[in-house]
Amino acid sequence: MNPTPPIRALIAEDEPILAATLAATLRRVWPDLEIAGTAPNGVAAVQQALDLRPDILFLDIKMPGQTGLEAAQELAERWDGPRPFPQVVFVTAYDDYAVQAFEQAAVDYVMKPVGDARLARTVERLQARLAPAAAPDGGLAQLVEQMRALLPPAAPAAERLTVIRAAVGNTVRMIPVEDVAYFQALDKYVNVAAGSGDALIRLSLKDLLPQLDPDQFRQISRGAIVNLRCVTSATRDEAGKLTLHLRDRPDLLRVSPLFAHLFRQM
Amino acid sequence: MTPLARLLQPAGSCRPRLRRFADDLGLTIIVCAWFAVLITLVNGKTYQLYDQMVYSIAIGVIALAILDGVRLTVLNDPARRRRWLLPFAVLLVATAPFAHFCGIVIGSLILGNPIPDLSSYPSRGDKGMILFALLAIALMALMILNRERVERIKLERGEARARAETIERQALQAQLRLLQAQIEPHMLFNTLANLQGLIAIDPQQASRMLDHLIQYLRATLSATRAETTTLAQEFEAAEAYLGLMAIRMGARLSYRCTLPPDLRGARLPAMLLQPLVENAIIHGLEPKIDGGTVTVEASARAGLLDICVSDTGLGLPETPAPAKGSGVGVTTTRERLHVLYGARAALTLLPAQPHGVLARLTLPLETA
Repeated sequence: MNPTPPIRALIAEDEPILAATLAATLRRVWPDLEIAGTAPNGVAAVQQALDLRPDILFLDIKMPGQTGLEAAQELAERWDGPRPFPQVVFVTAYDDYAVQAFEQAAVDYVMKPVGDARLARTVERLQARLAPAAAPDGGLAQLVEQMRALLPPAAPAAERLTVIRAAVGNTVRMIPVEDVAYFQALDKYVNVAAGSGDALIRLSLKDLLPQLDPDQFRQISRGAIVNLRCVTSATRDEAGKLTLHLRDRPDLLRVSPLFAHLFRQM
Repeated sequence: MTPLARLLQPAGSCRPRLRRFADDLGLTIIVCAWFAVLITLVNGKTYQLYDQMVYSIAIGVIALAILDGVRLTVLNDPARRRRWLLPFAVLLVATAPFAHFCGIVIGSLILGNPIPDLSSYPSRGDKGMILFALLAIALMALMILNRERVERIKLERGEARARAETIERQALQAQLRLLQAQIEPHMLFNTLANLQGLIAIDPQQASRMLDHLIQYLRATLSATRAETTTLAQEFEAAEAYLGLMAIRMGARLSYRCTLPPDLRGARLPAMLLQPLVENAIIHGLEPKIDGGTVTVEASARAGLLDICVSDTGLGLPETPAPAKGSGVGVTTTRERLHVLYGARAALTLLPAQPHGVLARLTLPLETA
């Protein structure tokens, strides 16, 4: 009879042989670990993680649908309930940028092909972090640290936008950037929420961000960039989720845990 | 001049000797005519212009026949030229009275004037004219030699430029080919990781995958050396790559390669097809959750070879800024086609129906 429930892991890896190999290696070096499932892409990884609530998540970086980094980010935004956020181990084959970032982040990553000895070290670390004595909810805090190092550094200042040109029917509205309260991603468009009314532009947040003044506009989640001058307050609910209130607007904006540090008290 | 350039230079001179002699003859006649005009102007006997011209040209042509004849036969070898400089100068001095006398004889025959007697030659007036002829002949010799030197320099410069252009073009071609024959580290390490896993799970499949990898690496590495290859080899390399990727991607990838037997021997630049197949996988199917199919087909029409690579993947990006990699492959392929074929070859990218990309490579059909 087992006094504690087994530790469960989810593997997200698009190449079936690599997923099977990682599972087999894990079974060898950590026989007590239960492999709850394998997800074949970044979208399924998030869904299965939410369904299965694993303790450990092995995320391949390069996956169809969305990358391992994007999946981790989305999962951090959608994770709720009593179970602690999983420990995330990133897996990569070869990627200059990622490897460099991984080395800076003092958290775990493994390189494919994953050898037994290397994986055993990872397992030791995971076991230490998952031990009952370890700080609760270390997973998410750790992921936030990890992701901050992994997310691409602010792109070198591109040409700054001063006016947003948004097509509304037959006319093009000129919206001064400082009048924009926030930008929100909507499928292939970005909604520009301005004092003078909303408008859609066909541009991704990723392309938009480097063109905005970083002192005024900050990304607060995967899907939103807010004008800090329009934020009146940030409230934290019981689950620890952060919500922004805006000046002259009823809209509430959720802040991803990844960007919560922007709204911590001084 | 480098030893290589000396080797490349055609032996002797650029033009046949007869042609060079004809050129010199033309120049001589023109210069002699001018001398005749000069003489008549100096001595004031303008009514003698025609006679003077006949004599002058006769003298000039005889001197040319002797000196240019010797130069083009005996002294044509550049190695001998230096040693024969002094004897040639002596010959030149000796030629003057000889050409003068013979010229006057021939001129008199043409004009029907009395032929001067050798015993009374040279008379007092002749001595001045012999000296004048000597000066004129020396001047002519210098003009001809100088003209040939200028021509030679021009020719050498043109050859050097052509050589530089050839070297530059070859370097560019090699560079572009190398660029296309690069093995992406991500692809290589992922494949090795798969192999390592397969060895434990399914050794037979591992062996098949290793076969594909060996074939793929051989084709890619040999492309860095060979300039051209056959369509059959390019298809084998493409199939090796697709076979490799099909094992890795499992059910997400299916592929079909169709090569008509009569096109197997068609020659084409190495590593032209491979980047298009890799693009179809890397940008079309790998990032697509459901995966899809890659089709590689070759066909011939009106002296042209068409190679089509189509996929049912994500399709062309909506924004003109292409993702990392896709732009490089397509741009490099277009540059190579331009360097190799100019306007006779093309690469077009079209959206495929219902989704995906159709890459069509068109180039002149060359069979070995």
